[in-house]
Amino acid sequence: MPNLFLGVEGATVSFGQEDARVYALRDVSLSFEPGTLSLVMGPSGSGKTTLLSMLGCLLSPDEGSVFVDGVAVNGLSEAERTVVRQKKISFVFQVFRLFHSLSALDNVALGFEIRDPAASRRTEKARDLLLQFGLGDKLHQEPNELSAGEKQRVAIARALAGNPPILLADEPTASLDAEAGRNICQILRSQVDEHGRTVVVVSHDPRWEKFADRIVTLCDGCVEEEVGVL
Amino acid sequence: MKLALQNILHDRGRFSVTVFGVCFAVFLMVFQGSLLAGFLQAASKLIDASDSDIWITARGVQAFEFGTTLESHVREMAAGVPGVTETGRVCMAFAVYRTPIGKQQVVALVGADPTVGNRFPVPDRHESADQLSPDAVLYDVSDRKQMEVDTLPAEVEINRHRANIEREIQGYGAFLGVPFLFTSYRNAIRYMGFGSDQAMYILLRVDKAYPVSQVQQSLKQRLPEVDVLTRDEFAHKARMYWTIKTGAGGAILTAAVLGFLIGLVVVSQTIYANTMENLEEYATLKALGAPQAFVARIVLTQALICGVIGSVLGLLAVVPSITYAKSLIPWISAPWWLPGAMVAPSLAMCSLASIVSVRSALTVEPGRVFRA
Repeated sequence: MPNLFLGVEGATVSFGQEDARVYALRDVSLSFEPGTLSLVMGPSGSGKTTLLSMLGCLLSPDEGSVFVDGVAVNGLSEAERTVVRQKKISFVFQVFRLFHSLSALDNVALGFEIRDPAASRRTEKARDLLLQFGLGDKLHQEPNELSAGEKQRVAIARALAGNPPILLADEPTASLDAEAGRNICQILRSQVDEHGRTVVVVSHDPRWEKFADRIVTLCDGCVEEEVGVL
Repeated sequence: MKLALQNILHDRGRFSVTVFGVCFAVFLMVFQGSLLAGFLQAASKLIDASDSDIWITARGVQAFEFGTTLESHVREMAAGVPGVTETGRVCMAFAVYRTPIGKQQVVALVGADPTVGNRFPVPDRHESADQLSPDAVLYDVSDRKQMEVDTLPAEVEINRHRANIEREIQGYGAFLGVPFLFTSYRNAIRYMGFGSDQAMYILLRVDKAYPVSQVQQSLKQRLPEVDVLTRDEFAHKARMYWTIKTGAGGAILTAAVLGFLIGLVVVSQTIYANTMENLEEYATLKALGAPQAFVARIVLTQALICGVIGSVLGLLAVVPSITYAKSLIPWISAPWWLPGAMVAPSLAMCSLASIVSVRSALTVEPGRVFRA
């Protein structure tokens, strides 16, 4: 069995039973190298989100293996997979998934509280992250007072709390205009270049192509194409 | 825990609805509980007011209000049983009362010997400097309007006998729908037309050196034609009669049980709905790597904050409501333990409902967080 940093080996995922069974992924093997930004593309229903769910330890395959930081995680218990998520993985969602009752600062501080409960000065660290993303004047604003681009930057700051090595992003620019989208692409690219994180982006957005090290195209639950870009 | 608190403060509309739900449930449970507790208390109030250890009643008497006369020898025979130190008599009958202005109405007349107990409302007792005459008649303050007495003492008629109403008492208001009048035993049998050796209830005190159960057994053997009950047994029998065997009691019991259950359902449903509203947030927490205990703590904190605030508001609303209700229903009563007994299960249901709902959050389908 290969020992991948991040990836799946022979993964098959299906939903439903017997005649109603639908395959989301069929015998997919993919490896994502550390310190790279990989773009996963494909039409709706091709299995992109299912792949991301597996890489994020939110879903186990019917068959095959999932590796995170070199460890096969699909044999782990729910509690153990939670620890893997807590320490290694972070998510950026299309609809931001910010906590609507918390300010930008508290949203990011909550990220620290979850990932690094023992850490002190969580609020100061959260402030530093938001300052890095140009949100110094929005610290105390609630998500509904922020633009879509600002929300996504807060969500990325929250995702980076606790310094996770792996960042999984699901359509992170789908809800954004051109400028905000480009800004998010640059931020995630800089996480690879400056911090050595491994970023996997699932997107239909062609803007990502020039920021990705590799493009994987899925179709009907199978890998249709893999292209190295940079 | 900031998230729990902020979630509550942020959506004040939802918070208000949740708190109102809990508040209503606690109000309902305590109010209905007070009706039942008061009804049970009133059903055996005069029995409980006696200090006697044993009550002798005619065979089959179910409640104080429905006694029949005993044979005259019963008292003498009971007094002769070893361990019996003192006997007293009580009678009760419906009588016609004529108000000072000549209006007639039915009353429940109760007469008792002074030996039946200090709490039993009997007039000829060494109570205070302003001694009452032994033949004085007393009534409860809550029945003042029905008695139509403007000043005390007042001269009235009971069963066509002249009587003196001399004082108002408290805590013995109408339970049967007609006012109680209390007087001495001697006076009462005169108004009722009983013979001087007749009684409805014989009350006995037992020497502390004798077990009450042993004396009770001896009395049962010696007096097989009557019922010999300890005070608590007769009180329990009366409460069961009024609660189970009468329509009014059954309705109050049913209402109290339903009130309790509805209260619990309202609390659970309210908290459950509130938790489910935030389900996506809990799924996000989980996706971000929050342990189950972290998510559960947030959900429980939110539920308990709503539960505690709702319960406090419910209690604040129900206390004046019960006080007001006392003017209409004199026997309603909220024992000191009742609010606690209702709030504790409410908070337990808050926790239970939130735990049930948090299970949905903890087992949420992973793809949910990716959906737009």
